[in-house]
Amino acid sequence: MGTAEAKTSRAEWGTRFGFLMAMIGAMVGAGNIWRFPYVMGENGGGAFVLAFLVLLFLLAVPGLMAEVALGRYTNKGVIGAFRDVVGPGGFVGLGVVVLLVNIALMSYYSPVIGWTLYYAVHSLLFSFTATGFEAEPFMMDLFGNSALMIGLHTIVMASIAGILLLGIRRGVERIVIFAVPALVLALVVMMVRGLTLDGASEGIAFAFGIEWGYLLLSETWITALGQALFSTGLGWGIALTVGSYLREYDDVPLGGGVFTAIGESSIGILAALAIFPIVFAVGADPDAGAGLAFISLAQVFPEIPLGGLVAIVFFVGFFLATFTSGLLITEVSVTTLAEETRFDRTQTVLGVCGLIWLFGLPSAYSADILDYLDFVFGNWGLPLATLAIIGVIGWAIGPERIRLLAVNKNAGIYIGSWWNPVIKYVIPGVMLFIMAYFAYEQWGTNEMIGGMIVLVTFPLIGYAIMSIVDNGREPTDTAELVGGDD
Amino acid sequence: MALTIEVIAMLVFTLAAFWGVATWSLVKTLRQEDRKAAMLEAQERVDTYPPKALAELRAWIEANPNDSLADEARQSYNECVDVLESTDEHFYDWSESEVQSLDRL
Repeated sequence: MGTAEAKTSRAEWGTRFGFLMAMIGAMVGAGNIWRFPYVMGENGGGAFVLAFLVLLFLLAVPGLMAEVALGRYTNKGVIGAFRDVVGPGGFVGLGVVVLLVNIALMSYYSPVIGWTLYYAVHSLLFSFTATGFEAEPFMMDLFGNSALMIGLHTIVMASIAGILLLGIRRGVERIVIFAVPALVLALVVMMVRGLTLDGASEGIAFAFGIEWGYLLLSETWITALGQALFSTGLGWGIALTVGSYLREYDDVPLGGGVFTAIGESSIGILAALAIFPIVFAVGADPDAGAGLAFISLAQVFPEIPLGGLVAIVFFVGFFLATFTSGLLITEVSVTTLAEETRFDRTQTVLGVCGLIWLFGLPSAYSADILDYLDFVFGNWGLPLATLAIIGVIGWAIGPERIRLLAVNKNAGIYIGSWWNPVIKYVIPGVMLFIMAYFAYEQWGTNEMIGGMIVLVTFPLIGYAIMSIVDNGREPTDTAELVGGDD
Repeated sequence: MALTIEVIAMLVFTLAAFWGVATWSLVKTLRQEDRKAAMLEAQERVDTYPPKALAELRAWIEANPNDSLADEARQSYNECVDVLESTDEHFYDWSESEVQSLDRL
């Protein structure tokens, strides 16, 4: 059990840069590299960029400001923050919903990090430029080897646990301040290599050519909406957790809102410039997901000069992108459970990582299970978490109060009252629309049924847990429970 | 294949809108951090609100005196006023006359 002393002072980011890199490291993941460039090219190129940009500023930037502000205002993890706002009792269970969604998300994301680790290691071994290398069989061999997948999943979770054990400043911050710039550098190197190849301009035209008609299609806007919300990790508890470690005089809206949303999206733009010139230069098919990273790209490296080195740059960068996201997704649970239980940070890290490892075994064993969970939680679980966090800010504490007391206090930019209706009405409305739209699109499928089970059971489980846990608890400040060990 | 003017223009716009804004916000927030750190070293305290935000905070407190967060808001307001009155250098753009017109709540 943790001592009282261990929980009397809360960890803080050592530097402003550390906080900013933690936000970017958390939000930039596989989607920025293997989804965004293709989605952009397939949905009108420049037209999609415009739609995406509008939605980023309309929803993601204000939403991230709100989430970071709640964390900074309460100086607590998800459950503690919810309790501060709604008071002890069953409704704190909305925080448990966020926690459950995070654990579920990480359980199937860890094997994905394992894939990128496997490819990063093979890039260092120059496997992709070796004689006789064939991309598709190579990938299928990996996906079909359950023991290897479980081994990679184990290595990933053990590595994450090892870093989280060091704490916020000595663990997470020390990694992200190097990993995020290294990822950017890797993509820049790859972009330069790609743009100097013959035929690279076709890739640029695919990604940045403008088809204005796409702006009139609802599908363009819904895709851009999903990208703006899911890519920025809005409402998943990550921004709240990272914000809870801000220092007294730190700004929220400029770093936590504008820089995070636009900065992380910029990595997607850079990925488009890094990937498609190379793919088009050698005549490979543009694709999304594992097909783009592990087949299209893997098979072009032998075709280009210095391909072996470019493969190292790409796959190591790709691994860093996914790994830092996994680190911060796991930190959400560690922070709040270290605060809410009698366990110290070390025990909590080991418990959370062990639990995620256990829940991740089915996804590591079977890519079909991983795909199913990704669909269910991507379409319903994550929007539910976003609805819980933004709903509590918009309807419990109220946007005007949080704007006056947290967003504009020590702020790098002033946020006006236009922000209030966005938080109170627009974002919750959009999340409800997204969940309903996906349910309509997938009506009657196993995925839709799974999603409905999540939507119904997670809030009930959360409510039941917190009704029991908070039974008899006085509605007083609980600042003595803190996370981190720095 | 040569790129059209339209594609090049879109590329430039996209880079400016994303990398331009991200770089601007990164540089601005890091510079602000340096300035705050220097001010904290010199005078130990830094004003916490710009004029417009502090005026809004005051208006809200006066309009909601019995709100459950009114005391906390009052404390934040008074803290900022105290710092402004007791320090020479201010982080936000406060004029001397604006500072002199402030009073605690």
